[in-house]
Amino acid sequence: MPLKTLKQDTAETLTLEWVLHVRNYKLTLNKNLCVGCEICALACPKEAIRLEKQPKALGVKAKHAKIDIDLEKCNFCGICDILCPYGAIKVTVTGEHILSVVEKESFPELIRDIQVDTSKCPVDCVECEEACPLDLIKITQLTADGKFVENIDSLTEKEKTGLQIKIDIEKERCPCCRICEFNCPKGVLQVRKFIHGKISIRPEKCPEGCTDCLDVCPILGALYLSDEDEQVHVNEMFCIYCGTCKVVCPVDEALELKRTMVNHTPVHSGAWNKALERLTSPVEMTKELKTKGSLKARESVRKRLGWKGK
Amino acid sequence: MAEEEIQKKSKTEAPRIGVFVCECGSNIQSMMDVEDLTRYAKTLPNVVYAEHMNYPCSRQGQEKIIDAIKKRGLNRVVVAGCSPRIYEAIFRRCVSRASLNPWLFEMANIREFSFYCHQKTPEEAAKKAKDIMKMAVAKARLLEPLQPIELPVTKKVMVIGGGIAGISAALDLADMGFKVYLVEKTETIGGHMALLDKTFPTLDCSICIEGPKMVDVGRHPNIEIISYADILKVDGYAGNFKVKIQKNPRYIIAANCTGCGECRDACPIEYPNPADMKLGVRKAISVPFDQAVPLIYTINKDYCIECYKCVDACGARQAINFDQKPEEVEVNVGAIIVAIGYDMYNPEDMECYGYGKYENVFTALEFERLILAAGPTAGKVIRASDGQKPHSVAFLQCVGSRDINRYEYCTSFCCMYTLKHAVMLKEKYKDDVQVYVFYNDMRSNFKGYEEFFNRAQKSGVNFIRVKLENRRITEDAETKNLVVYAETEDGKPVKAETEMAVLANAAVPVQNATELAEILKIPVGTNGFFVECQPKIRPNETDTPGIFLAGACQGLKDIPFTVAHGSGAAAQAASILGKSKWIVEPLVARVNEDLCSGCGICESVCSYDAVRIEEIGGKNLAKVTEGLCRGCGICGGACPVGAITMPHYTSEQVVAQVRAVLEEVK
Repeated sequence: MPLKTLKQDTAETLTLEWVLHVRNYKLTLNKNLCVGCEICALACPKEAIRLEKQPKALGVKAKHAKIDIDLEKCNFCGICDILCPYGAIKVTVTGEHILSVVEKESFPELIRDIQVDTSKCPVDCVECEEACPLDLIKITQLTADGKFVENIDSLTEKEKTGLQIKIDIEKERCPCCRICEFNCPKGVLQVRKFIHGKISIRPEKCPEGCTDCLDVCPILGALYLSDEDEQVHVNEMFCIYCGTCKVVCPVDEALELKRTMVNHTPVHSGAWNKALERLTSPVEMTKELKTKGSLKARESVRKRLGWKGK
Repeated sequence: MAEEEIQKKSKTEAPRIGVFVCECGSNIQSMMDVEDLTRYAKTLPNVVYAEHMNYPCSRQGQEKIIDAIKKRGLNRVVVAGCSPRIYEAIFRRCVSRASLNPWLFEMANIREFSFYCHQKTPEEAAKKAKDIMKMAVAKARLLEPLQPIELPVTKKVMVIGGGIAGISAALDLADMGFKVYLVEKTETIGGHMALLDKTFPTLDCSICIEGPKMVDVGRHPNIEIISYADILKVDGYAGNFKVKIQKNPRYIIAANCTGCGECRDACPIEYPNPADMKLGVRKAISVPFDQAVPLIYTINKDYCIECYKCVDACGARQAINFDQKPEEVEVNVGAIIVAIGYDMYNPEDMECYGYGKYENVFTALEFERLILAAGPTAGKVIRASDGQKPHSVAFLQCVGSRDINRYEYCTSFCCMYTLKHAVMLKEKYKDDVQVYVFYNDMRSNFKGYEEFFNRAQKSGVNFIRVKLENRRITEDAETKNLVVYAETEDGKPVKAETEMAVLANAAVPVQNATELAEILKIPVGTNGFFVECQPKIRPNETDTPGIFLAGACQGLKDIPFTVAHGSGAAAQAASILGKSKWIVEPLVARVNEDLCSGCGICESVCSYDAVRIEEIGGKNLAKVTEGLCRGCGICGGACPVGAITMPHYTSEQVVAQVRAVLEEVK
């Protein structure tokens, strides 16, 4: 059978495939998870991903952009999979989710730094689960002998004290917005963002009554409509700088978004430098290189002069 | 008498023409009264001698002509006989043996032009023969002695295409001592043969017998391989070609690459490998196969993500350069051998076979990569649908070839490679596999081939002779097995369910063969293959002197014939390269510089870039490159001031012929 290159676009998914006799390369975009941010499109080294803005109808909420992937250009490297904050893209080779770019250390992984200390959890607290804008947290209570508790209200106070709390987070899909952390009354959760940056809205530039950015923002609470001026404002605490809002904003200067840093596993790779440059800016990329350089220099000095300390 | 004096004499002396009428066995004589023709010849002005004889082209005939020239003091000779295409050269040599300038000879073709085409009207034919003779004599009267043109010869040669044809030609020429540039389009030489598992009928490992030759090419001090390159432009003529080549960037500094492969191991990116028929993959930095020559890695930028892991792996060798640009080089060669081979027809458009639709239908070359130990499945013949070894395989012959709607010709080697595949399958899996060959004619007509066919029959392969039309394959959606339907010669339906099917798809001309033909100015046949000068006795030459054909690009052939054809082309090329001077007939345009106004019309009409306007002594003048001029005369016809003449076909001579034939009409 000759090489088959397939592209299938359904309401739920967009699939790209190379079917070879001995191997099968597959990219699946889960459209329900995709929020139309610009991360994959910016990071793709083959410029295979394109954002398609959706037309806006009067009186209807704005829709986020859709992405389209060019089968001719895609090489199934999996960089989009690695960088998607929402875990919407999966690249597999013959069914296995092993990314060669990570294995060969030619691309880093995002660090989703989520610390959970369930020993502090009040037994019947579900604040984090309820707060998560993407519904990624599931809280379960286990009895001392490890059984699931079906209905917590049926337990006596005494029984409740012996319970263990388990918090399951779908980490691969978590954009680390920190909303759970801020809603936790006991400081159980500690979340570090993996994208850092700066976002600002200039209300004076916004078209009157426009809430497009707010309409598409996947992190409930990162943007909000102010009661005072009836305009959209930013709560920078929760913004993950994914750019979904920026893609739909109809006015150039109304919304400014700058990414400055991406928290990732250590790597020495041209492909990462280029991705970082496109995601942030040449200046930020250079900063990371310089930091790496000075760390390297410090390390080598330590190695050479280390004996003196002994 | 010294030759110069004779020539001077023949210019100044009044013409003394001898006419020799050929009886041509019974050909001409049977219909025409050669006596009468001879008598007529004697009546023509300046004819001082005429005779008829059987076969003037024979040795005795030539002696008679020489004798007559000497005895009768002839200074022009006309032979009325057959076509000048073959015999003119013989008679020119003949008259020069009698110390007459060879260009003082003229031929009147009374056989083809009157006898052959007017057989039903002998009287008319005889009249026409007389007219033709009259014209020849009229021209002979005005003939002038000419001197052949000698051109220098560059003792280097270019071979285009590094398959087994090009390899054979290159090695032969290099061993003869000529410098060879072997230009290859892809990353490595080897061609199709390097992709095969075994060769018929001996079942030798293909790369094991070609590999050493490839290595010889790579190491030969007289061969320079220019791989991953395209031919941009060819100028010049036999003995003096100038070829412009573009070396495409591999993003590797060839001199620094040791071929160690550490970069490949570090590379994270894979893409379908064309050398594996895209059944398997190769890395974005890699070689198409391990035996590649030259062993230089290539980065495919279509897939590379530029992580530079290869740069780290290469380290101090520093062989990688991501900024490499295409590089143009120009080389001068005396001869060119074209050996670009063939492509394989993609049978996806023949829906009846389901290729591309049914997972377990393969082409022959795909099957070759499956059964090859170094192939993507490590030699395991497995189905695409479930990865299982098939227990039955059907081979279908003549897919696309011997089909008047597609390729009318016979691909010539598919019968044999199918026998090879069938025998290999049987020998590998014994009774565990049933093999069916749906063929129409089994063409096994060379050394050891019929014996191999017998071996296949003895090994238990089922041969089913069917019509080529009405064959089709369907698939069982569940098992992914295939059902082959066909019809025997006497119209009975046959069918077989198998777990795999292999199509013997046609071999076709290389995709951009026509483009290359335009660059080289060589003709392409209606079937898309390059046209040789003469199909029987000049199968290596093209119409362009100095350009030769080798291998399948001239017509499909299997490996031994390709090797021999390559060696033949090498010998032909050596016949030019071995000469100190390349002799060209003096039939090239001449410019009368006093008349030429440098208007450039001649330049614009010349198809061979042979006439150019150049500044000579402060004046724009037309200048003819003798090696390029084919003497077609178009420039002479176009010149508004009559400054260009065609020697041996001067206006004077042509007008004299026209006047002669129209004399009686007025």
